[in-house]
Amino acid sequence: MLRFGRVLFKEAGTGISKTLSEILVCPLSKQPLRVCEKTNSLISDSIGVSYPVVDGIPRLVPSNGKIIDDEEASNSNSAVDPDAVKNDHQRCSS
Amino acid sequence: MDNAIMSAASLHRTLPALPGQHSRPVFRSKTRLVRCSNERQVLFDRIAPVYDNLNDLLTVGQHRIWKRMAISWSGAKKGDNVLDVCCGTGDLAFLLSDKVGPTGKVVGLDFSKEQLLIASSRQHSQSKTCYENIKWIEGNAIDLPFPESSFDAVTIGYGLRNVVDRLKVLEEVCRVLKPGSKVSALDFNKSTNPFSTSFQEWMIDYVVVPAADIYGLANEYRYLKRSINEFLTGKELERLALNAGFSSAKHFETGGGLMGNLVAVR
Repeated sequence: MLRFGRVLFKEAGTGISKTLSEILVCPLSKQPLRVCEKTNSLISDSIGVSYPVVDGIPRLVPSNGKIIDDEEASNSNSAVDPDAVKNDHQRCSS
Repeated sequence: MDNAIMSAASLHRTLPALPGQHSRPVFRSKTRLVRCSNERQVLFDRIAPVYDNLNDLLTVGQHRIWKRMAISWSGAKKGDNVLDVCCGTGDLAFLLSDKVGPTGKVVGLDFSKEQLLIASSRQHSQSKTCYENIKWIEGNAIDLPFPESSFDAVTIGYGLRNVVDRLKVLEEVCRVLKPGSKVSALDFNKSTNPFSTSFQEWMIDYVVVPAADIYGLANEYRYLKRSINEFLTGKELERLALNAGFSSAKHFETGGGLMGNLVAVR
């Protein structure tokens, strides 16, 4: 019960539900998105772009996207896709 | 993929300022054409606060009937995952929500942030718990952010006429539909009957625009006549849907020929 409550609180903080992030893909590359809780955004690792989530509504018009530079990529944090995080670390350390 | 990267590269850094960020009025003259996607987005942001009231006033509430018919034609049923493209303030999404019930899911997508905010507040102001199955996405109909074969039905209400690239939108809708599922697109009918066309134009000039003028939106609704003229006839829409990859397409006229509904099967 406590763990379920923590999950709900976490989802409320991100402003986007995990269910929603699972049905969405990058509008340009059509590849999966991962949730970045730190920046409250959806990250398209395939093209290095982040899309904001505002008031719980993902803003997935391509022009809303922001290109992530290497420093932002190393600071962004998500527990959803461990392979993506590994790639970020490799990019920052190269 | 290279095209996607090129598009992404031009995203944030080189995007020109939206018309709304300047002090000059968006619409300079009565005959100015609302051509590009940005200007249309601004238009729909501007009419958002009165959109629902004007729909009721201008159609004497009949738009609700046409929308229910559009839902029927889509084949949406209990438990389905469905998408409403160009959802605006959410009329079709709310009808879909009732149709698919709590075991189903509705996604409403629109490029107008203002219209989505209204949709979201309508959702939360309702006491119906089944509206909890609706999610709102700000997105562009020509670049749908969903995987292939995601949905059991797609609806588009008064949206296909307003998008800049209708073929691309239909291709995207086809892509995200499950095989054998339908899109139901309701819109004004561009009639081949000169009497119907004249009546429609008269209605816009002498009923719609004066009513919109009460809200200070006469210019925005004058856009309607031009956009219907630039729209496709029922037969042309059927052909477009087949070109977009649908296996069959049929256009039905409703509202005494004023409205039309395209139904296409993936």
